[in-house]
Amino acid sequence: MAELGRAALLVTLGLAAYALLVGAYAASTHRRRLAESARNALVASFFSTLVAAVVLAAAFVRDDFSLRYVTERSSKALPTPYKLSAFWGGQEGSLLLWLLVLTGYAALAVWLNRRRAADLVLWVTPVLGGITVAFAWLVTGVASPFATHAAPPDGLGLTPSLQNPYMATHPPALYLGYVGLAVPWAFAMGALLAGRTDERWIVATRRWTLVAWASLGIGQLLGAHWAYLEVGWGGYFAWDPVENAALMPWLAATAFLHSVMIQEKRGMLKVWNVVLVSLAFCLSIFGTFLTRSGIVNSIHSFTQSSIGPWFLAFIIVAVAVSVALIAWRLPLLRSRTKLESLVSREAAFMYNNLLLVALCLTVLWGVAWPILSEAVRGEAVVVGRPYYDFFLRVFGLPLLLLMGIGPLVAWRRASLRGLLRTFLGPSVFALMVGAVLLALGAGSSIPGLIAYTFSAFVIGAIAIEFWRGTTARRALSSESWPAAFASLIGRNRRRYGGYVVHFAIVLLAIGIAGSSAYDSVVEGRLAKGESLEVSGYTLTYARLVEREASNATEVRAKVLVNRGGADLGTLEAGKNAYSVEQQVSNEIGLRTDYLRAEDLFVIAEQVNDDGSVYFRVFVKPLVNLIWLAGLVFLGGSLIALWPDAREQRRLATRFAEAATPAGSAPPP
Amino acid sequence: MARRGSPARLVIAVSIAAVLAVFLLYTSIAGGGTPSLSPSELAGRTGDVSLAGLVVGPVKGDAHAGGLRFKLRDIEGAKKTTVAVRYTGSVPDLFRVGRHVVVDGQLLAGVFVATPGTMVTKCPSKYSALQPPK
Repeated sequence: MAELGRAALLVTLGLAAYALLVGAYAASTHRRRLAESARNALVASFFSTLVAAVVLAAAFVRDDFSLRYVTERSSKALPTPYKLSAFWGGQEGSLLLWLLVLTGYAALAVWLNRRRAADLVLWVTPVLGGITVAFAWLVTGVASPFATHAAPPDGLGLTPSLQNPYMATHPPALYLGYVGLAVPWAFAMGALLAGRTDERWIVATRRWTLVAWASLGIGQLLGAHWAYLEVGWGGYFAWDPVENAALMPWLAATAFLHSVMIQEKRGMLKVWNVVLVSLAFCLSIFGTFLTRSGIVNSIHSFTQSSIGPWFLAFIIVAVAVSVALIAWRLPLLRSRTKLESLVSREAAFMYNNLLLVALCLTVLWGVAWPILSEAVRGEAVVVGRPYYDFFLRVFGLPLLLLMGIGPLVAWRRASLRGLLRTFLGPSVFALMVGAVLLALGAGSSIPGLIAYTFSAFVIGAIAIEFWRGTTARRALSSESWPAAFASLIGRNRRRYGGYVVHFAIVLLAIGIAGSSAYDSVVEGRLAKGESLEVSGYTLTYARLVEREASNATEVRAKVLVNRGGADLGTLEAGKNAYSVEQQVSNEIGLRTDYLRAEDLFVIAEQVNDDGSVYFRVFVKPLVNLIWLAGLVFLGGSLIALWPDAREQRRLATRFAEAATPAGSAPPP
Repeated sequence: MARRGSPARLVIAVSIAAVLAVFLLYTSIAGGGTPSLSPSELAGRTGDVSLAGLVVGPVKGDAHAGGLRFKLRDIEGAKKTTVAVRYTGSVPDLFRVGRHVVVDGQLLAGVFVATPGTMVTKCPSKYSALQPPK
């Protein structure tokens, strides 16, 4: 079976090379039939990759330990769902999954756009073919998942921390995001190559960008939730290079999603948009490079291997191609209109973009600083949490405020008087919320108080938008309130989906501010019967239990929780010792109080021989809003993504207008 | 060009200047981060550093009472220099002899006294449970 997998990947490499070389030749010489065959080769490469992926998945399910990759990640005792998730538990399988997603996206993107954007697809095919060649080469020539060896009787098992539903879903979600950014980049490069720099490449890839961006966001939140529940240090994000690696392309893609709206509406920022999409794509490759090369210290250490230099070469090629093409086509990228006023929707979008890119670049700077300082001063210098927290506040808080301002400002030119009238309501609401919070003692953290006041402002602004829209629809069609509300969203999915996402980001901000600025922590060694107090809770260590699970020995400290004399039940915190894998893992005790909107988080840090336990206990207010934000974010993204027949018809007309170049320059 | 004086350019120029100013402000207030060193480079260093090394036994003591004591040596290279470390605070699950760890702290009288709670483990093969049988 391993031969079949290897052969299928070689076929993928061949098909992708054909799409790259023949596609480029056909596009430059305008041979339509040949271009179609290149496009079909790209589509076919998905199916050959699928064969290879099915072979590997089958090997995991059938416990085929003749594959080295399967031996190192699975065992007979592993439950079947985790056997399947062990597929991406290592580097070779991750790369194969990456290739599968890439070819799947590529096939679907060129197939769906083959008619309405045929002149773009002509050049998109070789670009996507080129990316596919790079990844297909990695899984055939450098790190093959189909390497065989003499089959041992059983495998080595999967790392315990990966044996949970989060780790089965978090990596694929991130891959869907990372790889998805290849599609808008390929269309941008295709548009530059074809000399068709109208906004069709943006319109054709809007949903692709949204899918990639939403998956990247959800993937990160899944990872954060996993870290919170499983890693058990009391946090969910540590500004670690590998976490930043996913955050940076997400920030760039967020900026891109906003700035494309200006190009669509006003024909501005054309250069900026191709720069942003290139930045997002190159950062997603850079993220993989960081993760896999081990060039910077990270808590997350993946199998490090020889593929680092290949990725570095790939980044250099991608950056060089982006820069060269943008420079070459600069004359075609001139704006149709220009910014008329610094107080307008366009300007608000621009401030948002500058802040997002500034945040993205400061994170990049922090990640690259050890490498740069090593090169310049001969000594690696690392920047820690204070650096990132500082810049998150400096750039993140104004961004939060802009989220409330931007949507209410008029396009082109807004009058200050109109602005004052519009913002009076939300501002009063925000100041009232701020004053109440200050009275309640939220002044202990100034950034937290600012974040809450701004959040209230944004919520007020979003509520006004929905209110106005709904009353306008009711006036128009005399529908009932819920019907008017539903049709308001249904008719402007992109706009109102966007507002729902904004609301999710506000929830996220409230959750982050609450759990980081207003949390409390107490730690101490307790003998049996002793207790400690943390913000109103009394925790009493009752007894220690030890039990055997199927693959681990579980030690648990039973802790009685009491608040104001009321018994709130028992929590268990302790450690699991995994016998096969010879590892220990922290198992935290968690009690969520939805009424008080806070989590009681108990870590049994150290179990001593005399039966005493060293506990660390957190009370984290509002942390659950972060996970709720994930659901709202997903909902908003789906609303914005959902196919819309009216929009399709509108687009078809625009495509027809743009494809007959009246003002655009002919290709040289 | 006719676009001279466009407000967009002004905004971009001003914001780049603002970002640079913020950067300078930050580096002047908070300093530029901590140097990351290996045990063989540590001799004679003063001030806070981030030390990355391989754990050498024996591991003694209690991280929550008096401190956990162990030694670190270079992860790469042939240098046999070791440095004694005293650490208090949370010990990550993956901490064990032979693992790679990073701790912040400073060298005081020949012992690297770690800042409480700063230990981070790096397992060279976290995603493949053990080394493959040869």
